[in-house]
Amino acid sequence: MEFALLAWKNLWRNRRRTLITLAAIAFSIMLMQAAHNLAMGIYASMVDHGVRAGSGHIAVYLEDYPRSRDESLAFAPGSLIDEIQDLPEVARALPRIYLPALAQSSRESRGILLTGVAPLAERTANPFLKHLLPGKMIRSSQSNDAVLGCRLLDELKITDGNKLVITLQNRQGDLVSELFRVRGSLKTGIRELDSSLIIVGLEKASAIAGMSGKIHELAVILESADDEQTALPAINRLLRDKAPRAVSWEEAMPNLADAIKLDYAGQKFIFLVITLIVTIGVVNTLLMSVMERIREFGVMLAIGASPAQLRRLILTEALMLALAGIAVGTLLGSLITWYLVHYGIDLSRMMPESMEFGGVVFDPILRATWDFTWMARICLYLTLLTVAAALYPAHKAARIAPAAAMRKH
Amino acid sequence: MPLIELAKIGKIYPVGNQQVTALADLNLRFEQGEFTVLAGPSGSGKTTVLNLIGGLDQPTSGSVVIAGRSTGKSSPAELAEFRLNHIGFVFQSYNLIPVLSAAENVEFPLMLQRLPKTERRRRISTLFQQLSIAGLENRKPNDLSGGQQQRVAVARAIATRPTVVLADEPTANLDSQTAADLLTLMRQLNATENTTFIFSSHDPQVINCARRVITLKDGRLQSDMQQTP
Repeated sequence: MEFALLAWKNLWRNRRRTLITLAAIAFSIMLMQAAHNLAMGIYASMVDHGVRAGSGHIAVYLEDYPRSRDESLAFAPGSLIDEIQDLPEVARALPRIYLPALAQSSRESRGILLTGVAPLAERTANPFLKHLLPGKMIRSSQSNDAVLGCRLLDELKITDGNKLVITLQNRQGDLVSELFRVRGSLKTGIRELDSSLIIVGLEKASAIAGMSGKIHELAVILESADDEQTALPAINRLLRDKAPRAVSWEEAMPNLADAIKLDYAGQKFIFLVITLIVTIGVVNTLLMSVMERIREFGVMLAIGASPAQLRRLILTEALMLALAGIAVGTLLGSLITWYLVHYGIDLSRMMPESMEFGGVVFDPILRATWDFTWMARICLYLTLLTVAAALYPAHKAARIAPAAAMRKH
Repeated sequence: MPLIELAKIGKIYPVGNQQVTALADLNLRFEQGEFTVLAGPSGSGKTTVLNLIGGLDQPTSGSVVIAGRSTGKSSPAELAEFRLNHIGFVFQSYNLIPVLSAAENVEFPLMLQRLPKTERRRRISTLFQQLSIAGLENRKPNDLSGGQQQRVAVARAIATRPTVVLADEPTANLDSQTAADLLTLMRQLNATENTTFIFSSHDPQVINCARRVITLKDGRLQSDMQQTP
């Protein structure tokens, strides 16, 4: 018989109370692990979706273009695209031009954002363009093909194959117009974007605007979002003697980054409330358990146990309670996470419209992702918290006066 | 030098706003190997004397010296270590730990002494044979009779090979035959191991088998007599 065995046996004196506390610990661990993993999955999906359709995991700009959107802040990429593309962490380097313009059909006109892209590279990375049917994508960078946002297509009262004229002010200050033919339309789910987006070939857009091969943004898509830590300094090294600078997606897409931070802060607050409730439950269980055993502690002191050993006994009981609860909770949390990773929660039936968050549309099937480090960390925190919650009951047990304990109880 | 010396002991308990005197100006000495009974009516201070000798309580005045060591100058941890290695307690209501088996109850103080598992097992086996409770090792206290529980309690008290066994009304909850068996057992241990036994009791059966009878009344020494059991 060892101390740990005695502690374990003590835990089961009041089976119902211990089971309730154990269930509270297990349930909170399960809830926090599953909720966190789901949130991380959703955030990862949003970030992935956002960076592929937006500015990439890392974006290269001139000066403060992300904030000012000043069209004159364009740079000639030269060999930079190939150099960045050669980095092992980089999946794609996508040059883009963004130009405010006016689109006119034979019946309507609308203010639009003309986006010049490298069609082949863009189609492999951009989630909206990926879903275009064959024959609906811009054929080449120099072609007069255009892909329009679905709402804009309706607003201009045109369909695939129709013509439209895009007018913009070029770098020299002259108004220039170009005829384009609609190849296809896309639905991003973001109302504003679907009403204003026209994608054309990069070289064609550059030629109309008189930008002589310059671009506004070089969006870098990484093989994995985790590679940002190594890829960003590597890209900055390539840019050492050049004017453009590389920024992370958080800086390039502050709306998305802030929305995620705010959402996770709310979740953290809920986690804090859960852990506080669990801590109160643990304190209650252990304190009740100590109060019920005062005479027994008096006897244990009489037969030679030291106050420190009684303290250790209570702390061991708390540790075992925490470990048992955490084991059950982690098992359940892992099962739920596994389900959410493989099957997810399908919200498409409940919400036929696309879901937008932080300016990014995300998949209606919410999927979790494994965050083992965080799962281990929350287990450690809850273990420490449970043991900390036992300090007062343990201190109370250690201060028992043996004669008084046996006389009064 | 006596094994135990209580000098000018006073003990006052606060009860609400009142001060109740449990012991007053008590002087007692005990030698190694004594088999002594503290007799007297309820409230005479018998249990208080045992608690003071065992270091479970501190006197309001006077000193308790055991084997040359004053209990008043010891910290709670030192007193716990002292009790573990020198004192064995037997209580009126047995006070076994209900979640532990009979053997585990006896093993508990041995575990606190950090004895190796094999030595613990050996001592438990010997004691259970000696106390005629062999075969009951795995039973929980609730599954034992009063006599069996008290034997387990005695086994727990003597397992650590203490210098002194303090027994507070050990036969109070036992039938006369079981009480007689227990007393015979304690006398044997006293004779073979030279263990000092100090009982508190007003049971004539216990008083008659003691070699020394100290009678207390209202916390004061009334008589201190040697006798032939």
